[in-house]
Amino acid sequence: MNWFANWLDDRTGYRKVLQEALDESVPGGARWRYVWGSTLVFTFFVQMLTGIALWSAYSPSAQTAWESVYFIQHEMTLGSIVRGVHHFTAQAMVVLLAIHLMQVIIDGAYRAPREINFWLGLILAQIVLALSLTGYLLPWDQKGYYATQVTTNIVGATPFVGQKLQELAQGGTQYGHHTLTRFFAMHAGVLPGLLVGFLALHIYVFRRHGLTVAKGGRTATAKFWPDQILRDAVACLGVLSVVLLLAIFKGAELGAPANPAEVYSAARPEWYFLSLFRFLRFEAVEHYGLAFGAIYVPGAILGVITLMPLIAMIRGGHVLNVMFMWLLAAAVVGLTGLAWYEDRTDSEFQAALKEAHRDGDRVVELAQGPTKIPVTGAGTLLAEDPYTQGPRIFAKHCSSCHRFDNHNGRGVKVVTRNPETGAADPTPATAPDLGKFGTRDWWHAILTDFENHFASTSGSDYDLETSASEGMVSWFRESQEVINNPANKDDVAAMVEFLVAQSQRPDLEIDEAKYGRGEEILSSGELTDGSITTCDSCHGGVGGDFELGTDNGGIPELQGYGSKAWLTAFINHPGDPQFYGDNNHMPRFSDKLSPHELELLVRFLIRDYQPSSHEASHHKTPATASTANEKSSPDASE
Amino acid sequence: MNTQDAGHEATPSPSDATERRGFVKLMAGFVSLLVGLIPAGIGLGFFLDPILRKKQGDGSAADPLEPDGAVKDAEGFIRLDVTIDTLPQDGTPIAVKVKDDKIDAWNRFRDIDIGTIWLRRMPDDTVLAMSSICPHLGCAVDYRPADNDFFCPCHTSSFDLTGQKTNNIPPRGMDHLEARMKPETGNQIWLKYETFRTGTPEKERIA
Repeated sequence: MNWFANWLDDRTGYRKVLQEALDESVPGGARWRYVWGSTLVFTFFVQMLTGIALWSAYSPSAQTAWESVYFIQHEMTLGSIVRGVHHFTAQAMVVLLAIHLMQVIIDGAYRAPREINFWLGLILAQIVLALSLTGYLLPWDQKGYYATQVTTNIVGATPFVGQKLQELAQGGTQYGHHTLTRFFAMHAGVLPGLLVGFLALHIYVFRRHGLTVAKGGRTATAKFWPDQILRDAVACLGVLSVVLLLAIFKGAELGAPANPAEVYSAARPEWYFLSLFRFLRFEAVEHYGLAFGAIYVPGAILGVITLMPLIAMIRGGHVLNVMFMWLLAAAVVGLTGLAWYEDRTDSEFQAALKEAHRDGDRVVELAQGPTKIPVTGAGTLLAEDPYTQGPRIFAKHCSSCHRFDNHNGRGVKVVTRNPETGAADPTPATAPDLGKFGTRDWWHAILTDFENHFASTSGSDYDLETSASEGMVSWFRESQEVINNPANKDDVAAMVEFLVAQSQRPDLEIDEAKYGRGEEILSSGELTDGSITTCDSCHGGVGGDFELGTDNGGIPELQGYGSKAWLTAFINHPGDPQFYGDNNHMPRFSDKLSPHELELLVRFLIRDYQPSSHEASHHKTPATASTANEKSSPDASE
Repeated sequence: MNTQDAGHEATPSPSDATERRGFVKLMAGFVSLLVGLIPAGIGLGFFLDPILRKKQGDGSAADPLEPDGAVKDAEGFIRLDVTIDTLPQDGTPIAVKVKDDKIDAWNRFRDIDIGTIWLRRMPDDTVLAMSSICPHLGCAVDYRPADNDFFCPCHTSSFDLTGQKTNNIPPRGMDHLEARMKPETGNQIWLKYETFRTGTPEKERIA
């Protein structure tokens, strides 16, 4: 072995190189405060390794970028860990950069003869920020897509050359395949290449001048190996531990696939750019024009930092630099905190964020289904999904009268601004809350609490007392004593079971004994204690299949009530004699919704879709939709 | 080669040698530069493709392909799935997705959503169409029912219902789009979908 080492050294001279690298003297002794530069080199090394791993599975194009990242994150061996480590190490790098830079400024380490190295460091810092900006887009999710639009539009605001620069960055006038291929070439090729080059120069110049000895070095000069390296390695272990914990327990987020036509209200930059983001929200800044706040001010700050070695040459210059740094740090922390606080207290933003997370989780749920992802991309999965599209259609077309579990379908309360106080007062609904439409709760409320259940309609020009529901109101008042009699509790549940089964909803599991009893009661009107007028004395038949176009004289059809066919026909033409006839007050939607939109809305309302883990607690749904269908349909179609 | 030549010929005079050294230096520099510049040049030219190529392969498709899901007339107006009668009487804005063929580099996407616009029915039964792309930095402008105005959730740009800016965040009002009705198609609304540069006080068309 020794012979081999001697031979190798003779041919290569490696010992001298190694000795020069490791025998660097550390005046004043090894110290913890010297570790920051090494942790940065280490994080870059981690990014190279995880980056190349991700590269081997990533596919940059508008139809495959999100899809390949999904596959990395959710299917591949260690995929979520590798992506998580890459994601959080990128953030760690920014934090470490800030610490490193602040330490250099505080210690005055930028002063002669180290000016050049300071500037090299600033170039490195900008390369790291450029890496994080380009990397944010690559998953091609809504968050990255919309946040990066802002970045490239800022590039476009550069005086004179902005538009051309923007087109070069985007690979055209709009986002598309070439935006991804170019960002990827930057992120994985050009920028890391530049980083390696400038890092080599930075370390070379650093070695040439040695480290800046901090005051108070008490011990004798130590050697880089092993005294300082031990501390550096422990610090790197610390960084790695934090990153690993975040990767394992928090994980890198993947939102819904980018869709330029889907309004996305939760766009935010990565947290370390929040201060710049918040800065552009000041009217006082923005009225000078976009370039002022987005380009000139950050450029001027960077200019001051660049000039610091020269400023330090004048008397008191160093103190000025340090003061400037602390002011800047305070501004960054203050603006970041402000942005964070405002978002936390903005209920509309929180609802948008919640919806964004739900969409992201949902598309993964669908992608993991038997269909996998179609070649048209994962966006198609969401576009065809009632669970996520239904609420949007509800909010747009239904929520001005109806509510869904007390909100507009998308988790936002419907409010009206009080012109005097400025407070957001809840807008009263003028039609029933459809959150539980067609469920057992819905039917139970109709039987036991009819007036309250439809109370919202009383506030409008549609009045329970005088219109279509008059007959129903009198039925309800007559039947109350019998129905709310505790002796008939099981009978009411049986009636609910029979009525709810009319919908043949796939998510229902029907109790056959109850169903039979309910059918019996509703045909005879006889309960255990007392009797009621049966439904079919007014509503025509109950218990058959829904047939389009029956003339019920404006008394709503109960055959197939709440089924897909029933609800589709109802929403299309609520004023047909089959439904509310002349007493109808709901607009018809046959000309407002496309057949596709209507289908999504109906399937959303009757929960006819692949169940989502997000609403697991909502109702007692059996494991799969198909088994429920088999159980409920034979009975219901009798 | 050189040593052989030197052996055959008389020793060159010092001035000859200097001259020759100069020529060699010049040539060495020139050839090195050439072999460096050529690959760099073609690489750079390739990289500049987005601003150099005449026929741009992105944006909404210029020439319609028949039969086409999206109906588009000769002037580039796209037929929307909306008639004036379906818009609220009181002028409440409605978001409508615009569909068209879209060419993205090597793909032609048939009849896909290319953007969202806001439509309002005006008191004189005309239609006001506005882009949902915020003129500030390109986020999506949303309608706030509570305040009855338009609001961008990114940098808080706000606009009144006609698209006029109501604070100093955006450099201009919301971008109005050309919309028209054609009675022969049952009051359906036709729209010319365009996008504009963000961040500028003037409205400059992109595509």
